[in-house]
Amino acid sequence: MSNTAVISAKNLSKFYGKHRGISDVNLDIDKGEIFGLLGPNGAGKTTCIRILLDFIRATSGSATILGMDSRSKSVEIRRNVGYLPGDFITYEKLTAEELLQYFANLRGGHLEKAKVLAERFDLDLSRKIGELSRGNRQKVGIIQAFMSDPKLLILDEPTTGLDPLLQQEFHALVLEEAESGKTLFISSHVLPEVEIVCDRVGIIRAGSIIAVEEVATLRKQTLTKIAIEFGEVVSKADFESVTGVREVTIKGHHLSCSVTGSLDSLIKLAAEYTVVNIQAGHPALEEVFLNFYNQQDTTTE
Amino acid sequence: MLLNVYLKSLRDSKKSIIYYSIGTMVLGLYVTLFYPTIRDSTGLTDFLEQLPEAMLAFIGDADTYTTAEGFLNAEVFGFMGPMIFGVFAIIAGAGAIAGEEESHSLDQLLANPISRKNVLLQKAAALITGLFLLSISLWIGIIVGARIAGFSLSLTGTLQAIFSLWLLGGTLGLIALAIGASTGKKSLAGGLTAAVGIIGFLLDTFLSVVDALDPFKFISVFYYFNGNDVIINGINPLHSLAMVAILVIAMAIAVWRFESRDLKN
Repeated sequence: MSNTAVISAKNLSKFYGKHRGISDVNLDIDKGEIFGLLGPNGAGKTTCIRILLDFIRATSGSATILGMDSRSKSVEIRRNVGYLPGDFITYEKLTAEELLQYFANLRGGHLEKAKVLAERFDLDLSRKIGELSRGNRQKVGIIQAFMSDPKLLILDEPTTGLDPLLQQEFHALVLEEAESGKTLFISSHVLPEVEIVCDRVGIIRAGSIIAVEEVATLRKQTLTKIAIEFGEVVSKADFESVTGVREVTIKGHHLSCSVTGSLDSLIKLAAEYTVVNIQAGHPALEEVFLNFYNQQDTTTE
Repeated sequence: MLLNVYLKSLRDSKKSIIYYSIGTMVLGLYVTLFYPTIRDSTGLTDFLEQLPEAMLAFIGDADTYTTAEGFLNAEVFGFMGPMIFGVFAIIAGAGAIAGEEESHSLDQLLANPISRKNVLLQKAAALITGLFLLSISLWIGIIVGARIAGFSLSLTGTLQAIFSLWLLGGTLGLIALAIGASTGKKSLAGGLTAAVGIIGFLLDTFLSVVDALDPFKFISVFYYFNGNDVIINGINPLHSLAMVAILVIAMAIAVWRFESRDLKN
């Protein structure tokens, strides 16, 4: 564990009887980081999070949060942690404001920030939770997680049920909070979400973390599909010799290829010809992850 | 009312406490207002003296109907009182932790900086407080009814009997709370505790006339509640202590199990 680690998990495993929850999960998340835990449903993301919050207990291994043992110092940890699950379920009979007041009381805090956030997310605090739409209920969840200015936020699929505009606003909030020194741990099965906000990503699959990478590094490995229409015939060999360029095919004046990393050399070479049109496939982290998965498959199978 | 888990729990059961309190007050009033009619009816004593012992165990002997305390003992503390207190306590106890868990609000509550033990104890305290309000209402009903009906009643005897009833409710409620907190299953908690209550009642009331079963009265919580007819003979501190002991053990098990198990999602 490094000195600045906000979350440090060592060989965390959880079995439900014979069923695997997670096995041998190791994580180190630094202060100020936005860490994404990415994986398909059932991969073990929620299990990890519920162990960190001491809702369930690891079969083996241990974790420290903000330097404190996740089991013995659980109450003290939760004083400094905001938590938001994907489906925020709470007391339906309370109004949003009553709920926030209750949680603020339990935390020894106040509603100042909650009210600012409610305005920002356009939430009517006077309505009962049970009468709110899923999206509005999730807004209450966002507010209660952030309102006490916790040092660490643990967000489990936080944008489930939010419309795209709200997702954007939420991502903006996440980035602001990280800028002010908070650490965020976000689980998601939605790749673009992780790509937008996270600094580092851990990929979890079938209960194991199979890769932890910086988003920037992942982007460098990202394949971009490029299609260029020229005003003349071009030399295939010239393009094949460009670093990072693969799978070059030429049909008449049309060239298509895949590029890993920067497009700079390819564009400079293309500029020596008359370029009619260029199309680029949006660089998707998904493909990089699928590469990881595929590699994993080929090594295990 | 949202300052802490204790007050929030009381707030949640506000309606239930009010309705049950009306129930206990009406019970107290009804029985006391009805008493003079029974007392003054001729021939009842003769009739009762002809009945077999087993029958009397259930409906009470002649003394039951000729003294106010005896009548209250049979009509309030024999069946209706324990039933109202028991039902209230078991529903509240079974739902306290297991109910929150089954409705998925427990995770979010425990995401706040509060220990499981603390939540459990505050919820238990709220339950005991609710039962206390039921007790007060019953006491008011009885006192006011006796005043209206114009007969005198042993005040200390009545208070002691209500205290014992409060303890009975607390014992059943905390057993339900303990089973719910240990398993996360509300209906299991309610069902098992209801069984403890009903079997206890049967053992104490009906089977006490069967000599072979007499020793088993010690396993009945009803024996400790009113085995010595508290309103007539005064409270037996050992019996009260036995209920307190059951209650404390239930809480200890609840804290131990609740602290050490996984919460359901």
